[in-house]
Amino acid sequence: MIDMLTIDYNAALTTTSLVVGTLVFYVLFAKLQVKLKAIWLNPMLFTIILIAAFLMIIDMPFVEYFEATSLINGLVEPAVVALGYPLYQHLNTIKHQWKSIVLLLTLGVLLVIPISLILTMCFIALPEIAVSLSLKSVTTPIGISLTEALNGNNSVTAFAIILAGFFGSLFGVPWLNFINVTSAKAQGLAIGAASHALGTATISKISYEHAAYGSISIILSAVSTAIISPILIPFLFTYFS
Amino acid sequence: MKNVIYSIAAIGLCVMLGHLIAQALGTLPSSLYGLICLTLLLHFNIVSAKKVSDSIGWAISNMGICFVPAGVGIIDHFDLIKSHGLSIVLIIFFSTFVLLTFIGVFFQKATFKDLHTQKSTDD
Repeated sequence: MIDMLTIDYNAALTTTSLVVGTLVFYVLFAKLQVKLKAIWLNPMLFTIILIAAFLMIIDMPFVEYFEATSLINGLVEPAVVALGYPLYQHLNTIKHQWKSIVLLLTLGVLLVIPISLILTMCFIALPEIAVSLSLKSVTTPIGISLTEALNGNNSVTAFAIILAGFFGSLFGVPWLNFINVTSAKAQGLAIGAASHALGTATISKISYEHAAYGSISIILSAVSTAIISPILIPFLFTYFS
Repeated sequence: MKNVIYSIAAIGLCVMLGHLIAQALGTLPSSLYGLICLTLLLHFNIVSAKKVSDSIGWAISNMGICFVPAGVGIIDHFDLIKSHGLSIVLIIFFSTFVLLTFIGVFFQKATFKDLHTQKSTDD
Protein backbone atom coordinates (compact mmCIF):
# COMPACT_ATOMS: atom_id res chain seq x y z
CA MET A 1 0.00 0.00 0.00
CA ILE A 2 2.69 2.41 1.02
CA ASP A 3 4.71 1.36 -2.04
CA MET A 4 1.85 2.17 -4.36
CA LEU A 5 1.41 5.56 -2.81
CA THR A 6 5.11 6.32 -3.21
CA ILE A 7 5.02 5.33 -6.88
CA ASP A 8 2.01 7.53 -7.59
CA TYR A 9 3.60 10.35 -5.67
CA ASN A 10 6.78 10.05 -7.70
CA ALA A 11 4.91 9.93 -11.00
CA ALA A 12 2.88 12.99 -10.05
CA LEU A 13 6.04 14.80 -9.03
CA THR A 14 7.77 13.91 -12.31
CA THR A 15 4.74 15.02 -14.34
CA THR A 16 4.46 18.29 -12.45
CA SER A 17 8.15 19.11 -12.71
CA LEU A 18 8.25 18.30 -16.43
CA VAL A 19 5.23 20.51 -17.13
CA VAL A 20 6.44 23.33 -14.88
CA GLY A 21 9.97 23.01 -16.27
CA THR A 22 8.70 23.30 -19.84
CA LEU A 23 6.61 26.36 -18.94
CA VAL A 24 9.44 28.02 -17.02
CA PHE A 25 11.97 27.53 -19.84
CA TYR A 26 9.49 28.86 -22.37
CA VAL A 27 8.68 31.95 -20.28
CA LEU A 28 12.38 32.62 -19.66
CA PHE A 29 13.23 32.39 -23.37
CA ALA A 30 10.20 34.54 -24.25
CA LYS A 31 11.35 37.21 -21.74
CA LEU A 32 14.91 36.99 -23.06
CA GLN A 33 13.67 37.40 -26.63
CA VAL A 34 11.80 40.59 -25.70
CA LYS A 35 14.69 41.93 -23.66
CA LEU A 36 17.35 41.34 -26.31
CA LYS A 37 14.96 42.25 -29.13
CA ALA A 38 16.36 39.21 -30.96
CA ILE A 39 13.78 37.71 -33.30
CA TRP A 40 15.95 34.61 -33.88
CA LEU A 41 15.74 33.74 -30.18
CA ASN A 42 12.51 31.85 -30.73
CA PRO A 43 11.28 30.62 -27.33
CA MET A 44 9.63 27.52 -28.82
CA LEU A 45 12.72 26.32 -30.67
CA PHE A 46 15.10 27.01 -27.79
CA THR A 47 12.80 25.29 -25.29
CA ILE A 48 12.64 22.24 -27.58
CA ILE A 49 16.43 22.08 -27.92
CA LEU A 50 16.99 22.52 -24.20
CA ILE A 51 14.44 19.88 -23.22
CA ALA A 52 15.67 17.45 -25.89
CA ALA A 53 19.20 17.82 -24.50
CA PHE A 54 17.93 17.46 -20.94
CA LEU A 55 16.00 14.26 -21.74
CA MET A 56 19.09 12.75 -23.34
CA ILE A 57 21.24 13.64 -20.31
CA ILE A 58 18.83 12.11 -17.78
CA ASP A 59 18.13 9.27 -20.23
CA MET A 60 14.36 9.69 -20.19
CA PRO A 61 12.49 8.22 -23.19
CA PHE A 62 10.48 10.73 -25.25
CA VAL A 63 7.21 8.81 -24.70
CA GLU A 64 7.48 9.41 -20.96
CA TYR A 65 7.99 13.15 -21.46
CA PHE A 66 5.20 13.34 -24.03
CA GLU A 67 2.73 11.57 -21.73
CA ALA A 68 3.71 13.77 -18.79
CA THR A 69 3.19 16.94 -20.81
CA SER A 70 -0.08 15.83 -22.45
CA LEU A 71 -1.66 18.81 -20.68
CA ILE A 72 0.44 21.21 -22.78
CA ASN A 73 -0.05 19.19 -25.95
CA GLY A 74 -3.81 19.24 -25.28
CA LEU A 75 -3.73 23.04 -25.64
CA VAL A 76 -2.99 22.71 -29.36
CA GLU A 77 -6.65 22.28 -30.21
CA PRO A 78 -7.99 25.29 -28.25
CA ALA A 79 -5.07 27.29 -29.71
CA VAL A 80 -6.26 26.59 -33.24
CA VAL A 81 -9.83 27.43 -32.26
CA ALA A 82 -8.56 30.74 -30.84
CA LEU A 83 -7.39 31.65 -34.36
CA GLY A 84 -11.08 32.15 -35.12
CA TYR A 85 -10.76 35.52 -33.40
CA PRO A 86 -8.25 37.10 -35.83
CA LEU A 87 -10.25 35.58 -38.70
CA TYR A 88 -13.39 37.31 -37.37
CA GLN A 89 -11.47 40.57 -36.95
CA HIS A 90 -10.23 40.52 -40.51
CA LEU A 91 -13.23 39.16 -42.38
CA ASN A 92 -14.15 42.70 -43.44
CA THR A 93 -10.60 43.43 -44.53
CA ILE A 94 -10.59 40.70 -47.15
CA LYS A 95 -14.19 41.15 -48.29
CA HIS A 96 -13.21 42.61 -51.65
CA GLN A 97 -10.28 40.30 -52.30
CA TRP A 98 -11.41 36.94 -51.03
CA LYS A 99 -11.61 35.39 -54.51
CA SER A 100 -8.02 36.20 -55.45
CA ILE A 101 -6.84 35.19 -51.96
CA VAL A 102 -8.56 31.78 -52.05
CA LEU A 103 -7.37 31.14 -55.62
CA LEU A 104 -3.79 32.09 -54.87
CA LEU A 105 -3.61 30.05 -51.65
CA THR A 106 -5.09 27.01 -53.42
CA LEU A 107 -2.51 27.33 -56.19
CA GLY A 108 0.16 27.66 -53.50
CA VAL A 109 -0.94 24.34 -51.95
CA LEU A 110 -1.00 22.71 -55.41
CA LEU A 111 2.55 23.95 -55.93
CA VAL A 112 4.19 23.22 -52.59
CA ILE A 113 2.88 19.68 -52.02
CA PRO A 114 4.26 18.25 -55.32
CA ILE A 115 7.58 20.11 -54.91
CA SER A 116 8.16 18.76 -51.39
CA LEU A 117 6.90 15.27 -52.18
CA ILE A 118 8.85 14.82 -55.42
CA LEU A 119 12.09 16.20 -53.97
CA THR A 120 11.79 13.94 -50.93
CA MET A 121 11.08 10.87 -53.07
CA CYS A 122 14.05 11.69 -55.32
CA PHE A 123 16.60 12.36 -52.57
CA ILE A 124 15.38 10.36 -49.57
CA ALA A 125 12.95 7.84 -51.08
CA LEU A 126 10.98 7.26 -47.87
CA PRO A 127 7.22 7.71 -48.52
CA GLU A 128 6.55 8.31 -44.81
CA ILE A 129 8.93 11.27 -44.76
CA ALA A 130 7.61 12.55 -48.10
CA VAL A 131 4.09 12.79 -46.62
CA SER A 132 5.41 14.60 -43.55
CA LEU A 133 7.41 17.13 -45.55
CA SER A 134 4.51 17.86 -47.94
CA LEU A 135 2.34 18.87 -45.00
CA LYS A 136 4.85 21.16 -43.31
CA SER A 137 3.37 24.52 -44.36
CA VAL A 138 0.15 24.21 -42.35
CA THR A 139 -0.51 24.84 -38.69
CA THR A 140 0.61 21.93 -36.43
CA PRO A 141 -2.67 20.26 -35.34
CA ILE A 142 -3.97 20.17 -38.91
CA GLY A 143 -0.63 18.96 -40.25
CA ILE A 144 -0.58 16.21 -37.61
CA SER A 145 -4.11 14.97 -38.26
CA LEU A 146 -3.47 14.90 -42.01
CA THR A 147 -0.17 13.06 -41.42
CA GLU A 148 -2.03 10.37 -39.51
CA ALA A 149 -4.64 10.00 -42.22
CA LEU A 150 -1.99 9.76 -44.98
CA ASN A 151 0.47 7.47 -43.13
CA GLY A 152 3.22 9.98 -42.54
CA ASN A 153 5.44 10.31 -39.48
CA ASN A 154 4.06 12.57 -36.73
CA SER A 155 7.31 13.64 -35.12
CA VAL A 156 8.91 14.44 -38.47
CA THR A 157 5.83 16.47 -39.47
CA ALA A 158 5.92 18.32 -36.14
CA PHE A 159 9.57 19.17 -36.58
CA ALA A 160 9.25 20.03 -40.28
CA ILE A 161 6.38 22.40 -39.43
CA ILE A 162 8.51 24.09 -36.78
CA LEU A 163 11.42 24.44 -39.22
CA ALA A 164 9.17 25.90 -41.93
CA GLY A 165 7.77 28.32 -39.37
CA PHE A 166 11.20 29.18 -38.14
CA PHE A 167 12.59 29.89 -41.61
CA GLY A 168 9.64 32.14 -42.33
CA SER A 169 9.90 34.08 -39.08
CA LEU A 170 13.63 34.57 -39.45
CA PHE A 171 14.06 35.18 -43.17
CA GLY A 172 10.51 35.80 -44.44
CA VAL A 173 10.37 39.57 -44.20
CA PRO A 174 14.02 40.22 -45.21
CA TRP A 175 13.63 37.87 -48.20
CA LEU A 176 10.33 39.41 -49.34
CA ASN A 177 11.81 42.91 -49.03
CA PHE A 178 14.83 41.72 -51.00
CA ILE A 179 12.66 40.47 -53.90
CA ASN A 180 10.72 43.74 -53.72
CA VAL A 181 7.52 42.35 -52.20
CA THR A 182 7.11 45.20 -49.74
CA SER A 183 3.32 45.44 -49.36
CA ALA A 184 2.19 44.51 -45.84
CA LYS A 185 -0.74 42.50 -47.24
CA ALA A 186 1.44 40.41 -49.57
CA GLN A 187 4.04 39.80 -46.84
CA GLY A 188 1.36 38.70 -44.38
CA LEU A 189 -0.35 36.38 -46.86
CA ALA A 190 2.94 34.82 -48.01
CA ILE A 191 4.29 34.22 -44.50
CA GLY A 192 0.95 32.86 -43.23
CA ALA A 193 0.85 30.39 -46.12
CA ALA A 194 4.46 29.22 -45.87
CA SER A 195 5.17 29.57 -42.15
CA HIS A 196 1.73 29.34 -40.49
CA ALA A 197 1.20 30.52 -36.89
CA LEU A 198 4.87 30.70 -35.98
CA GLY A 199 5.73 33.04 -38.84
CA THR A 200 2.56 35.06 -38.36
CA ALA A 201 3.15 35.48 -34.63
CA THR A 202 6.56 36.95 -35.42
CA ILE A 203 5.39 39.40 -38.09
CA SER A 204 2.21 40.42 -36.25
CA LYS A 205 4.35 42.90 -34.31
CA ILE A 206 5.21 44.79 -37.52
CA SER A 207 1.74 45.99 -38.47
CA TYR A 208 -1.97 45.26 -38.15
CA GLU A 209 -2.12 44.28 -41.82
CA HIS A 210 0.67 41.74 -41.40
CA ALA A 211 -1.31 40.13 -38.58
CA ALA A 212 -4.60 40.26 -40.48
CA TYR A 213 -3.40 38.78 -43.75
CA GLY A 214 -1.17 36.30 -41.92
CA SER A 215 -4.08 34.91 -39.89
CA ILE A 216 -6.35 34.70 -42.91
CA SER A 217 -3.65 32.92 -44.84
CA ILE A 218 -2.99 30.32 -42.10
CA ILE A 219 -6.63 29.42 -41.89
CA LEU A 220 -7.45 29.34 -45.58
CA SER A 221 -4.24 27.45 -46.46
CA ALA A 222 -5.03 24.89 -43.77
CA VAL A 223 -8.55 24.40 -45.09
CA SER A 224 -7.40 24.00 -48.69
CA THR A 225 -4.57 21.63 -47.66
CA ALA A 226 -7.07 19.52 -45.70
CA ILE A 227 -9.29 19.26 -48.77
CA ILE A 228 -6.57 18.84 -51.44
CA SER A 229 -3.89 16.66 -49.80
CA PRO A 230 -5.94 13.45 -49.29
CA ILE A 231 -6.48 13.39 -53.07
CA LEU A 232 -3.23 14.87 -54.36
CA ILE A 233 -0.73 12.94 -52.20
CA PRO A 234 -1.94 9.39 -53.10
CA PHE A 235 -2.13 10.54 -56.74
CA LEU A 236 1.50 11.72 -56.72
CA PHE A 237 2.63 8.44 -55.13
CA THR A 238 1.30 6.48 -58.12
CA TYR A 239 4.32 7.85 -60.03
CA PHE A 240 6.76 6.39 -57.52
CA SER A 241 5.45 2.85 -57.20
CA MET B 1 -10.66 37.75 -14.50
CA LYS B 2 -14.33 37.59 -15.52
CA ASN B 3 -13.29 38.06 -19.13
CA VAL B 4 -10.68 35.32 -18.85
CA ILE B 5 -13.32 32.83 -17.68
CA TYR B 6 -15.69 34.06 -20.38
CA SER B 7 -13.00 33.53 -23.04
CA ILE B 8 -12.14 30.04 -21.77
CA ALA B 9 -15.84 29.13 -21.82
CA ALA B 10 -16.22 30.48 -25.37
CA ILE B 11 -13.20 28.52 -26.61
CA GLY B 12 -14.34 25.39 -24.76
CA LEU B 13 -17.77 25.62 -26.33
CA CYS B 14 -16.25 25.93 -29.81
CA VAL B 15 -13.88 22.99 -29.18
CA MET B 16 -16.93 20.86 -28.31
CA LEU B 17 -18.95 22.11 -31.27
CA GLY B 18 -15.94 21.36 -33.48
CA HIS B 19 -15.88 17.77 -32.25
CA LEU B 20 -19.59 17.34 -32.82
CA ILE B 21 -19.43 18.72 -36.36
CA ALA B 22 -16.32 16.69 -37.19
CA GLN B 23 -18.10 13.53 -36.04
CA ALA B 24 -21.11 14.34 -38.18
CA LEU B 25 -19.35 15.57 -41.32
CA GLY B 26 -15.78 14.24 -41.20
CA THR B 27 -13.41 15.69 -43.88
CA LEU B 28 -11.71 18.41 -41.81
CA PRO B 29 -9.98 18.15 -38.41
CA SER B 30 -12.28 19.10 -35.52
CA SER B 31 -10.14 22.08 -34.51
CA LEU B 32 -10.80 23.70 -37.90
CA TYR B 33 -14.56 23.37 -37.43
CA GLY B 34 -14.11 24.83 -33.94
CA LEU B 35 -12.22 27.76 -35.44
CA ILE B 36 -15.03 28.42 -37.92
CA CYS B 37 -17.61 28.17 -35.09
CA LEU B 38 -15.78 30.82 -33.06
CA THR B 39 -15.60 33.12 -36.08
CA LEU B 40 -19.34 32.75 -36.69
CA LEU B 41 -20.29 33.18 -33.01
CA LEU B 42 -18.24 36.38 -32.91
CA HIS B 43 -19.59 37.58 -36.25
CA PHE B 44 -23.21 37.20 -35.16
CA ASN B 45 -22.42 38.78 -31.80
CA ILE B 46 -23.37 35.66 -29.83
CA VAL B 47 -19.92 35.78 -28.24
CA SER B 48 -18.74 39.29 -27.34
CA ALA B 49 -15.54 40.19 -29.20
CA LYS B 50 -14.77 42.90 -26.65
CA LYS B 51 -14.70 40.44 -23.75
CA VAL B 52 -12.46 37.87 -25.45
CA SER B 53 -10.01 40.19 -27.22
CA ASP B 54 -7.37 40.52 -24.43
CA SER B 55 -7.27 36.88 -23.35
CA ILE B 56 -7.29 35.48 -26.87
CA GLY B 57 -4.68 37.99 -28.02
CA TRP B 58 -2.44 36.87 -25.16
CA ALA B 59 -3.08 33.19 -25.90
CA ILE B 60 -2.23 33.58 -29.58
CA SER B 61 1.02 35.40 -28.91
CA ASN B 62 2.08 32.57 -26.57
CA MET B 63 0.77 29.57 -28.48
CA GLY B 64 4.32 28.44 -29.34
CA ILE B 65 4.42 26.58 -26.03
CA CYS B 66 1.78 24.10 -27.27
CA PHE B 67 4.15 22.71 -29.90
CA VAL B 68 7.10 22.07 -27.57
CA PRO B 69 6.13 18.47 -26.60
CA ALA B 70 5.58 17.40 -30.24
CA GLY B 71 8.83 19.06 -31.31
CA VAL B 72 10.88 17.27 -28.64
CA GLY B 73 9.79 14.03 -30.38
CA ILE B 74 12.61 14.59 -32.81
CA ILE B 75 15.00 12.93 -30.31
CA ASP B 76 13.45 9.60 -31.32
CA HIS B 77 14.63 10.11 -34.90
CA PHE B 78 18.38 10.58 -34.69
CA ASP B 79 19.03 7.83 -37.23
CA LEU B 80 16.90 9.66 -39.74
CA ILE B 81 18.65 12.94 -38.97
CA LYS B 82 22.06 11.33 -39.26
CA SER B 83 21.35 9.86 -42.69
CA HIS B 84 18.96 12.44 -44.19
CA GLY B 85 18.98 15.50 -41.92
CA LEU B 86 20.65 17.85 -44.39
CA SER B 87 18.38 16.85 -47.31
CA ILE B 88 15.30 17.26 -45.09
CA VAL B 89 16.34 20.74 -43.97
CA LEU B 90 17.21 21.77 -47.54
CA ILE B 91 13.88 20.49 -48.93
CA ILE B 92 11.94 22.35 -46.21
CA PHE B 93 14.03 25.46 -46.76
CA PHE B 94 13.65 25.39 -50.55
CA SER B 95 9.91 24.64 -50.71
CA THR B 96 9.15 27.22 -47.99
CA PHE B 97 10.95 29.90 -50.01
CA VAL B 98 9.23 28.88 -53.25
CA LEU B 99 5.84 29.23 -51.54
CA LEU B 100 6.77 32.54 -49.88
CA THR B 101 7.94 33.95 -53.20
CA PHE B 102 4.97 32.64 -55.20
CA ILE B 103 2.28 33.98 -52.85
CA GLY B 104 4.15 37.23 -52.13
CA VAL B 105 4.89 38.16 -55.75
CA PHE B 106 1.47 37.29 -57.16
CA PHE B 107 -0.55 38.82 -54.34
CA GLN B 108 1.45 42.03 -54.56
CA LYS B 109 0.65 42.10 -58.29
CA ALA B 110 -3.06 41.52 -57.57
CA THR B 111 -3.22 44.27 -54.93
CA PHE B 112 -1.23 46.60 -57.16
CA LYS B 113 -3.90 46.15 -59.83
CA ASP B 114 -6.60 46.87 -57.21
CA LEU B 115 -4.74 50.01 -56.27
CA HIS B 116 -5.18 51.32 -59.78
CA THR B 117 -8.77 50.27 -60.25
CA GLN B 118 -10.10 51.21 -56.81
CA LYS B 119 -7.74 54.09 -56.05
CA SER B 120 -7.55 52.79 -52.52
CA THR B 121 -5.02 54.53 -50.33
CA ASP B 122 -3.39 51.53 -48.75
CA ASP B 123 -0.31 49.78 -49.98
